[in-house]
Amino acid sequence: MKSPAITAWGVYSVWHRHAMVYRRTWLVNCLPPLSEPIIYLVSFGYGLTPLVGDVTYANQSVPYLNFIAPAMIAIGILFQSFFEGAYASFIRLNFQKTWQALLTAPLSFAEVFLGDWLWAATKGMIAGSLTGVIATVWGLYPVWNLFFAIPIMLLGSLLFGAMGLLTAGSIRQIDQVNIPIFLLIVPMFTLCGTYFPRTTLPPILGQIATILPLSSLTDLLRWNLGLPEFWWLKLLWMITLMIILRAWQFARFIPS
Amino acid sequence: MLPTTAQSIDRATALVAYDLWKLYGERPVVQGVGFTLNPGEVLGLLGPNGAGKTTTVGMLYGAVNPSRGFVQFGSIQVQSNGRSARAKMGIVTQEDNLDPDFSVMENLVHFAHHYRISSKAARQRAGELLAQVDLQDYAQNQIDELSGGMKRRLVLARALINHPQIVFLDEPTTGLDPDARQEFWKLVTDLKQRGCGVLLTTHYMDEAQRLCDRLLLLQQGQVIDQGTPSELIDRTVGKEVVEIEGVDVAELQTLATQAGTWCRPFGSGYLLALPPNPAQLWEQLTSTQPQRLTRRQANLEDVFLRLTGGSLQ
Repeated sequence: MKSPAITAWGVYSVWHRHAMVYRRTWLVNCLPPLSEPIIYLVSFGYGLTPLVGDVTYANQSVPYLNFIAPAMIAIGILFQSFFEGAYASFIRLNFQKTWQALLTAPLSFAEVFLGDWLWAATKGMIAGSLTGVIATVWGLYPVWNLFFAIPIMLLGSLLFGAMGLLTAGSIRQIDQVNIPIFLLIVPMFTLCGTYFPRTTLPPILGQIATILPLSSLTDLLRWNLGLPEFWWLKLLWMITLMIILRAWQFARFIPS
Repeated sequence: MLPTTAQSIDRATALVAYDLWKLYGERPVVQGVGFTLNPGEVLGLLGPNGAGKTTTVGMLYGAVNPSRGFVQFGSIQVQSNGRSARAKMGIVTQEDNLDPDFSVMENLVHFAHHYRISSKAARQRAGELLAQVDLQDYAQNQIDELSGGMKRRLVLARALINHPQIVFLDEPTTGLDPDARQEFWKLVTDLKQRGCGVLLTTHYMDEAQRLCDRLLLLQQGQVIDQGTPSELIDRTVGKEVVEIEGVDVAELQTLATQAGTWCRPFGSGYLLALPPNPAQLWEQLTSTQPQRLTRRQANLEDVFLRLTGGSLQ
């Protein structure tokens, strides 16, 4: 009888290995997702609020700090899940030969791949959750909004983790990670309605920015300030993109 | 000594490779390799770099999909049930792929997790294995603190965490110093004694000659000969050979032909197989006043030289 290509235990076992590595240096690992939003909120929030004042979003005037707080959650998810998928997976695949070692155990290729993907998503969730807690403690994001935002955060983490793994499977040298970073990640980070509403951009640039997935994630996480028109379309777009990227990345990794 | 736990050995379990082929595009890397590996047997795949040894091993444990043929391990068809097969196998890959994020002990314990071995049982098993490979004093060390030989022993210990019935050793001693190689050989001998089937790939003929019960000689992905080391040597070369330098090639060739034997270029000179009654040829060779003339026992390197015209290194 043919054994299944994927078992829950197999995926969990790979994920567990990454979690154990993370646990060894959890304090160092938790520092960036804790310190980054604080630094951004202090510098952009307090530094720019006197200059910017309130921001018009969803037909209402919103304090600038309240406007950028949900974006900080989205950015934390983007960076942590993408970089875990791209850099860390590339290193495990090509330098540490962790994948090669795992495939000598009773694990299938699909399980190793899914374990890495879920771990990248987990890193995104950790970053998003820690940032969300800071925003909540700061009084910038209601706690129940944060609670119900968890599925959206998970979707974003899976999406950007898939993007990272696709990068790891597509590049030949580690420096090539910079290509998607400068062509995709940095433009998303700056243009997707994170630090200013996309309505201030030139129309064409604003439309391009709206297509980028960080815009959808940021808009959905900003639901405490009002859900955007066609919010369900944004949700569908993220799900579709995640499925496409997952299939694509799987094809990049699968051995001959 | 490695453990002699009865649970670890299923004497009925053999691994059979049927007509394995691997093509990358149009280029064949492995061509029609087939053999049986029995419990308690050390089978060697001997061949130069690029002969297809590692690709063959990859197909044996299901990491590489054969273009044709299949592998049967007991009742398990490896290509469709790789996970089940690997649960009973131990694999030492050519590269040290130990986890640098973990200590020596953690490497074993976390690897055991993939076999659903409980943490408590894994720690106990890891302790036993570290003692057996003489690394018990390094349990808390990081991987980068180990020497090359220690790393290879730890990879072997990791491969044994699940009490495997069969172990694949892909060039396990490459890059090790003579002492470390000797220590590793002892571990392989212990594995054989406890009834484990061992498949060893190597390009060291002394290693193959000393450890292997049977050998498959590979060249360009094909089995060019097989047998026990002594069978291969006797059949292909004979008992003794001569290394000779500083003589006229044509004269040497004539002497070899007259004696019903052969000679091949070898290093900066020639290798000549001595016939069963070598007295006359030996006398003729000494009379040619060569710069160097060495008479020695034939070995597997000579077998390979005879069969392929090249050396193993």
